[in-house]
Amino acid sequence: MRIGLTAFSALVVAAVISATAVTGQGQAPPAGRQGQPAAAAAPRPAAAPAARTEDGKPNFNGIWQALGTANFNIEAHNAEPGPHPEILGAWGAEPGGMGIVEGGTIPYKPEALRKKQDNFKNRTLVKVTNDPHRFDTGDPEIQCYRPGVPRANYMPFPFQIFQNRDQILIVYEYKGSMRTVFMDKHQDAPVDSWMGWSNGRWEGDTLVIDVTGFNGHQWLDRAGNFFTDTAHVVERWTRRDADHLNYEATIEDPATYTRPWKISFPIYRRVEPNAQLVEFNCVPFVEEMMYAPIGLYNPPNRSSR
Amino acid sequence: MRNRMLRTASVLIIATVVALSMAVLVAQTPSAKPAPSGKQALPSTTTDPEEAIKAAADAFKKETSLKAYVVPKTPWGDPDLRGVWNTATYTRLQRPEELGNKAFYTEEEAIAEYKKAAESDAEVDPRTVHYDWKEYAMDAWQGGTRPNLRTSLIVSPENGRLPPLVAEAQQRRQAAAAANRQRDPAVGIKTFGNLYTRCVLGLGALPLVRGGMPGADSAAAAAGVTAEAFFFQSPGYLTIVMQSNNDVRIIPTNGSPHVPSQVRTWLGDSRGHWEGNTLVVESTNFNSKEPATNFLGSTDQLTIVERFTRVGPNTMRYEYTVTDPKTWTRPWSVDTTMPRVDPSLIYEFACHEQNYGLINVVTGTQIRERDGTRDLRGFGARGDN
Repeated sequence: MRIGLTAFSALVVAAVISATAVTGQGQAPPAGRQGQPAAAAAPRPAAAPAARTEDGKPNFNGIWQALGTANFNIEAHNAEPGPHPEILGAWGAEPGGMGIVEGGTIPYKPEALRKKQDNFKNRTLVKVTNDPHRFDTGDPEIQCYRPGVPRANYMPFPFQIFQNRDQILIVYEYKGSMRTVFMDKHQDAPVDSWMGWSNGRWEGDTLVIDVTGFNGHQWLDRAGNFFTDTAHVVERWTRRDADHLNYEATIEDPATYTRPWKISFPIYRRVEPNAQLVEFNCVPFVEEMMYAPIGLYNPPNRSSR
Repeated sequence: MRNRMLRTASVLIIATVVALSMAVLVAQTPSAKPAPSGKQALPSTTTDPEEAIKAAADAFKKETSLKAYVVPKTPWGDPDLRGVWNTATYTRLQRPEELGNKAFYTEEEAIAEYKKAAESDAEVDPRTVHYDWKEYAMDAWQGGTRPNLRTSLIVSPENGRLPPLVAEAQQRRQAAAAANRQRDPAVGIKTFGNLYTRCVLGLGALPLVRGGMPGADSAAAAAGVTAEAFFFQSPGYLTIVMQSNNDVRIIPTNGSPHVPSQVRTWLGDSRGHWEGNTLVVESTNFNSKEPATNFLGSTDQLTIVERFTRVGPNTMRYEYTVTDPKTWTRPWSVDTTMPRVDPSLIYEFACHEQNYGLINVVTGTQIRERDGTRDLRGFGARGDN
């Protein structure tokens, strides 16, 4: 029964959500911040993470983060001034990098390569509509949309892995996006989604995750690299040592590429004693950008910007 | 659900119809696979609401009267809270005043109240919105909530009511009411307080259970869809993922301190510790982003202490105490239960990604404000009350 209601929700509720709920009460003036008890500066108990879990599998529990510039472009790229040097200067500049694509180049079909190039030109385009053309826009990241897999793993934000025998939960700081990896009950994706449907298994000490069920709106980086809703991603996670993982993913999408191709990069444990994910709820950060052009942020005749 | 709709209907009729037609369009996009729900056979126990309610009440009684229930342990030795728990309830947050200090209904009264609430929840006026579950071949009641003998979620103060507001909270509320009586032609998302409409937060991640319909307090969440809380435990952590908006709470249980007081977040900072079989979670560090407010109009001085205890194979006792010296004259407490939901998974809830509703709601509100057609006694232009 809950399948019924939740799956129903997934399709419909998001679209009609706002019409149904009126929560919260009177408007409060900004409250002061005094009175908050200062947290004791005691460091977190320094328990070295065990190499294996109780059931003998490699232990991936922890807070992790990739380094590098793949979120700008997963292929090798120069340093660039970024889209708005006139206001952001060096803040908005993008560092160069060697890329994470094995062999250096993504094997696009010609038409898909043109689409990738168009994507790059339109990467900051924001369009808010009441129909599926809403997604014919720039990089979903700029609008605080879920990043998909594998991109979530190399965005410049930490993520946390919570490991059980039958399920592994991965929570990404960016947007608080999450995915459940099903280790025991594999099934086809019941519905398309941004983060895909993850079925996992162990091959020796490697965690292999099969990801399908994408909705086709994902970009792989800010450069416009992309796949469609027929994409199939196979991730391979391996412990390199106590504080490092090796990550690779094979990406297959016959609609977009001439052959499967692969990315790989290391992932680092955040070893600071107070490391933790800090809520990055970016919805309020994008509302002015998204809704002001259609008069819904400030009404057009009352703009106080 | 009906009460909610009635309060909002005047503003939202057109917007909602548009939103729903868009939802249908989306569902018919070729790439969208059909939801499996359409193929699910309804368990026969839910075909007659009255029988189903009685069966649920009996099952609940049996479950909670288990004398020698041994709380299961995780492989690493903590009490096992894992699973999906249903946060919906038809029990009101506050006790109706006429019931005085009567804390419990008789069984017959409870079932009658529950039935009334379930029917009311399922029924809506089809001229406003097609949210009548029965239109989707569902029954009036199949939400997984359970009858509760309590007349209110609040158990302290003794009258089951929220304590009086402190003076500054009364002033806040009066100011908000006065603002609501003014036309607001400048209404827009910038002044729109409703975090749920904006997909900033889902329904009820903290606290998890807030009181049901009908006749519920204005801020109460509905007993209805998306009321699932996925509890994922791993050594040193309880992580709760809500079905609604996929809000995530990562709760360290490893003795680490709260974040520094200048770090403020929508869901606050939760830290847990075990007291026997009970996980005690204290949440502080809530932010304060006008015009949004925190739980029930509280401020960034809000502290919520939750207590989670398995009391049966399929039942979690859930207690919480709310303190905010800038809002209430004293702390108040809730004692309730959450039933287990199977299977143990939740789905992606990409709310902001296709928040068509926000466009429609704000457009409709702007039109009503400019036309002067909003009923000033009702729902506010800011959508926050």
